Amino acid sequence: MIALMPLSGMAQGDPERGEVIAYTCSGCHGIPFYKNVYPTYSVPKLGGQNQEYLISALKAYREGTRKHATMQAQAATLSDQDILDVTAYFVSIGENGS
Amino acid sequence: MNRLNFLMGMVMTSILSASMTSPSHAADGDYRRGLEKSQVCQSCHGRTGNESLQPSYPKLAGQHEDYLVHALKSYRSGSRQNAVMAGFAGNLSDQDIADLSAWYSRQDGLQDLEVE
Repeated sequence: MIALMPLSGMAQGDPERGEVIAYTCSGCHGIPFYKNVYPTYSVPKLGGQNQEYLISALKAYREGTRKHATMQAQAATLSDQDILDVTAYFVSIGENGS
Repeated sequence: MNRLNFLMGMVMTSILSASMTSPSHAADGDYRRGLEKSQVCQSCHGRTGNESLQPSYPKLAGQHEDYLVHALKSYRSGSRQNAVMAGFAGNLSDQDIADLSAWYSRQDGLQDLEVE
């Protein structure tokens, strides 16, 4: 069973499919120093973030326990598989060092 | 003439207030003091914020300074709910938050997404 697991270890999900899903995300998270407004702060960097943290954040937005109008709306469109895949893509950015 | 002075005064006031509330001035932190204050944080997030004790804890290294400020203030106010972070952030002053955010944002770690 261990041999069947991906070499990257913890990461689950399909980062290639995740990259397609992440197209929408990059509209805010892919623009350096892009600002959230009211209140104003830079939208967080996601590349290389821990996958389990990203999964819990997206699910909290989807369930409404973490509040942010845009993120709640975006997360509401994501299935569990979508969340696995898109977060696998975010993790892969850190691994590539890009 | 009085009217002109009044208008000029209004313009100067709005320029000043805009510069004072800009995000680059909001977090006036000292990263060296941030490192000193980060002893508790380090036990879960690591010294640079790039070594999480558990994968469910976020990396902090290289995160945007003003986002870290926002996150800590949200935990402190309770608008962002997390039992562990509420306990820690509740004890932080604005200056503590600025200093800690200055430290972790200056470490190597997180990356921006690339737009292709």
